[in-house]
Amino acid sequence: MHDSRQLKRERFTPLTYLFLTVALLFTMILCICVGSVSISFSDTITAVWNAIRGVPASGSITGNIILNVRLPRVLCVTLAGAALSLCGAAMQGLLRNPLADGSTMGVSSGAALGAVIAMAAGFTLPGFSYGGIMVTAMAFAFGSLILILSLAYSLDHSLSTNSIILIGVIFTMFISSIISLIITFASDHTRSLSFWTLGSFSGVNYDQAKLLFIALVICGGILIRFSSELNAFAIGEDNARHIGVNVKQVKLIVLITVSVLIGICVSISGTISFVGLVMPHIARMLVGPNHKRLLPASLFSGAIFLLLADLTARTILSPIELSIGVVTSLVGAVAFVIIFYRTRKRR
Amino acid sequence: MSKKLVSLFLAVLMVFSIASSLAEASAVTVTDMHDREITLAEPATRIVVMQPSDCEILCAIGCEDTIVGRGQYVDYPTSVLEVPVVQSGAETNVEEILALNPQVVLMNDMAQSEEQVKQLEENGVKVVVSSATDIEGVYYAIRMIGKLMGKEENAEAVIADMQATFDEIKANSKNEGKTVYFEVSPLQWGLWTAGKGTFMDELAEICGLTNAFADLNDWASISEEQVLARDPDFIVTITMYYGEGPTPVEEIMSREGWGDLKAVKNGDILNAESNAISRPGPRLKDAAIELYNFINNIKAEEVPAA
Repeated sequence: MHDSRQLKRERFTPLTYLFLTVALLFTMILCICVGSVSISFSDTITAVWNAIRGVPASGSITGNIILNVRLPRVLCVTLAGAALSLCGAAMQGLLRNPLADGSTMGVSSGAALGAVIAMAAGFTLPGFSYGGIMVTAMAFAFGSLILILSLAYSLDHSLSTNSIILIGVIFTMFISSIISLIITFASDHTRSLSFWTLGSFSGVNYDQAKLLFIALVICGGILIRFSSELNAFAIGEDNARHIGVNVKQVKLIVLITVSVLIGICVSISGTISFVGLVMPHIARMLVGPNHKRLLPASLFSGAIFLLLADLTARTILSPIELSIGVVTSLVGAVAFVIIFYRTRKRR
Repeated sequence: MSKKLVSLFLAVLMVFSIASSLAEASAVTVTDMHDREITLAEPATRIVVMQPSDCEILCAIGCEDTIVGRGQYVDYPTSVLEVPVVQSGAETNVEEILALNPQVVLMNDMAQSEEQVKQLEENGVKVVVSSATDIEGVYYAIRMIGKLMGKEENAEAVIADMQATFDEIKANSKNEGKTVYFEVSPLQWGLWTAGKGTFMDELAEICGLTNAFADLNDWASISEEQVLARDPDFIVTITMYYGEGPTPVEEIMSREGWGDLKAVKNGDILNAESNAISRPGPRLKDAAIELYNFINNIKAEEVPAA
């Protein structure tokens, strides 16, 4: 006897979405109001209100800070956090590997290499200033993914967790050295090594936020559309094929989508580790492994985590600003050990 | 016969003693900036110099022809580019240096290791450490190098020239509470500034300005918001311009939200010659003059890019 109520409750109820959105908005507002420079709440509201009404912000220092520095930054951080976390969840589901993520699979470093090469060589697309860099980053991200999966397959046909992660980590180290080498020769065109390895949202603008938004809507939409297929992958690729999933096609689409999204994120803010690795696990602990809930939950949890991490990076040593990767690594590593310990204990 | 022998003997003794006292007179002992004492039989004639600033000091006191090897970043004056290059810092290659047969190596203590110093000294090369972090330190370095090369008078002349410039500028500047923000690294590379304990900070003080980031020590990575909130009266950037894209000054003026800063509205942004203002050498006085002219709107000749 099917319990139709249970089947219907796979997706989140609108109420849950509302709750998640409110939580996210609250965090975003917190991050807009708090920063390196203390700005009173009323000044913040005034600045935003003026912007909405169309009154030019010029002449006001606080207005400039809120509208030209904090707001674009908060938007980019939210979108990047959501994107990285979603990609991590999708990769973990597709490869049935709890340690899969942009950084462990070498995708992020591949994207960084692509971006650095494009910057050093001066690739540009006509009319689109970041275009050359982003396209190269996406291409290299995808290339790295394919390379790592092929290498892992040739070493270990079962594609066990250990082999993939091992190759991914070694690949990342190798790529980092190449990036370092290129930066030594082309240092006036590329950003610094610490930007690529630890990430930074300093100086982001509204154009980049718009780009991230479009990318997240399109790629996020595609990944969420494949929730059922990702669920099927959990029982093994062969079994998924038997129940009618076009395994090759789904794999290809998911991997391409993930590469595109990570490529764009890395070109804008460098590699930020642990977001895609840890947040899907936390989301899974809260809402379960069903991708119809897990993917949206990862979106929100990733955004909130990265917002808080960026807030910490900007304020904890004010006026000095830390690299965001420092915060995510410290917190993420500890969180990861705790999660690992808990899951081991349960078994 | 014995009288002749005695006088011959006395003459030889006299020549000997004069010779030895002459030799002692030309022997050189310096205390370097790591409090190590180094003694040479006579002023150095073959020297490998690792730091750009020490090279500038050597050339300023007239010892350019004694330089047989230079570190990778030594580039001023341009005539020194013909001298063979040796690796410096952590990659210091002792064999490379020994191949040039120097008597002295002038180096910094940053990134050098004890082992490298020991290796050089075991092979008969004297190592002199020079590491100045303020103007007084620069004067000490100049005196030390002057003594090492037997050119103490020239060294004193260089110091006197520098001090005279600083004194003149100080006398013509009064502190009106105006602030300056030093941008060491631009926004697209991560914003860095120079706080207390840097040469830029010292020069600012000489010119009667307050460093907007005087609460920080040395060089620090800062938040963009802080610059906007502190609204400095002057902005000095040492970003180098290579001829492509907007100049560093244009880039700062085009930043979102920076248009309301006093310095941007009044066009009070200087792209300072970065080597002169950060190297602990004689060109600090040129940097001081550049800063002074900028603040007081004196149009000097265009400073050619180094």
